[in-house]
Amino acid sequence: MIQKKICMIGTSGVGKTSLVARFVSSIFSDKYLTTVGVKIDKKVLTVDGTNVTLVLWDLAGDDDFQRLQLSYLRGTAGYILVADGTRQITLDQLLDIQARVMEAVGPVPFVLALNKADLQTQWEIGKERIEQLTAQGWHILLTSAKTGAGVEEAFSDLSRMLLAPKP
Amino acid sequence: MPARESAIGAVFETLGFALFLREEPGGLKLAGEAPAWLKEIWPGAAQSGAMLEVSELSPFLENFLIDAGECWTAGGTSRVKSGPWIEGTDLELEATALSVNGQAVLLIEQLGKDFETRKAVLQKARETVIAYQRLNTEMQKKEILLHCIAEDMTGALGNVITSLRLIELEHDPLKTRRLLELAMLATQEQQNIIHRVLDVFADELESLYGRAGKNQADAEVHDVMQRALGAVQSEYQEKRVRLTASGFGTLRVAVDAGHLERVFVNLLENALHATPAGGEVKVRIEAEADTVLLQFDDGGAEIHEEVSEKLFAKFDCSEARPQATALRLHFCRIAIENCNGEIGHTSLGTAGNRFWVRLPGFHPAQ
Ligand SMILES: Nc1nc2c(ncn2[C@@H]2O[C@H](COP(=O)(O)OP(=O)(O)OP(=O)(O)O)[C@@H](O)[C@H]2O)c(=O)[nH]1
Ligand SMILES: [Mg+2]
Repeated sequence: MIQKKICMIGTSGVGKTSLVARFVSSIFSDKYLTTVGVKIDKKVLTVDGTNVTLVLWDLAGDDDFQRLQLSYLRGTAGYILVADGTRQITLDQLLDIQARVMEAVGPVPFVLALNKADLQTQWEIGKERIEQLTAQGWHILLTSAKTGAGVEEAFSDLSRMLLAPKP
Repeated sequence: MPARESAIGAVFETLGFALFLREEPGGLKLAGEAPAWLKEIWPGAAQSGAMLEVSELSPFLENFLIDAGECWTAGGTSRVKSGPWIEGTDLELEATALSVNGQAVLLIEQLGKDFETRKAVLQKARETVIAYQRLNTEMQKKEILLHCIAEDMTGALGNVITSLRLIELEHDPLKTRRLLELAMLATQEQQNIIHRVLDVFADELESLYGRAGKNQADAEVHDVMQRALGAVQSEYQEKRVRLTASGFGTLRVAVDAGHLERVFVNLLENALHATPAGGEVKVRIEAEADTVLLQFDDGGAEIHEEVSEKLFAKFDCSEARPQATALRLHFCRIAIENCNGEIGHTSLGTAGNRFWVRLPGFHPAQ
């Protein structure tokens, strides 16, 4: 069976672990338990009739206390960038991180999940910002690990990009 | 020699370490006894003399062995740590690669108490950063809010001053009267703004400290509506917007009458601001089984339903409505939700927008 490594990337508390938990086990918890190091999960997904095993590397948030360890990215087929839509700063920081990741792994496919979409009244990321990134060719999804909205799509859209024949 | 080796192996086992030695060719072979956790998660590798099949067992270790390989090749005293990881189970592990007298060694340990402490510190640190970020944005928002309030009040005050200056120069009593009316309207507008600000903060305080004796509040919807209609009448006339109200009968709701009046005034002003001159605003009051439904239909530009929820945020980032309006709607939401009511928005397409309020009916205590 086809096996693909996918890394979850973003600053602390944006919901990387929660997105994986929702996707793999259909669960969500409001309690924040930070990830120290790496947590690996697997899930088989069927994309357009093809079965693919996703090996999900949930990485600790990149911040002042712990830098993203680039060796963890080795061999990744694609990655999911995660920002917290209720904290604009997490998107700003993500752009820096993405540049470092791109340097390390090259131009592999990725999607951007703007997470916590259920918290509409606290939302801080404007339409223009999304349009601007989309215009740069970024594939963006609004997700909520809490309600499950957009989560399956984020993983299956990325998988589809991974399985697409290279141009 | 074997006795010494087995003693060392036993120490590692007691400490919860699994010790693997690299053999050429082949791979990693367990040396000494297997610690309990190894038997539990990788029983195959826990047999004495068994190989650690990383590619099958652990994508993490498979990746780490590349870094380990570089370390072993470098030899000497170099060592490399994998960092903590979890895979398949709840066990938290960490691996270290090093060379001892030219022998490539891989140590894997189950992380214990020290790691828990490290995690707790990181957890606190990260929670603090997030709380700090939230506080920061909250403060920025408050600054914007303050700015909006000051702008609104200055605008109204400017109108008062201009009217007064003109009155000073005016000899025609009719025109003077008209100017006085304008000045009056502007002062009322200013008073409204101040009330709104006070209400928002009073409600925020109440939501923090609770409110005493609000359960027996009671108001008659039509009475309150009549007063609210009266309060906005001149503004509507000024802009030539028609205002019609329908729905009859006595309907009592469990809401404070003063608060409710201000909610109605806010919604009527909101509708007026959105509706172009010459347009129409329709208010409808309807009794439901246990609740009363009020609908305010305006003739404003369509607000799409995806942004509905944001309309009631103190700061509407969607730019669907100006900031001062957001404050108005935010107040309504706090007031309505405080008395277990509901408030919402429904798009009427190109015809305009409907703001609706659902209020709990009043049932006097037995
Ligand atoms: N409302 C809401 N809360 C969410 C959502 N996703 C995550 N959270 C909450 O946000 C907090 C952080 O979530 P995590 O999944 O631990 O974040 P993380 O990115 O893995 O954080 P680190 O491991 O520290 O980098 C938790 O309290 C979650 O309950 C969401 O979609 N909606
Ligand atoms: Mg995490």
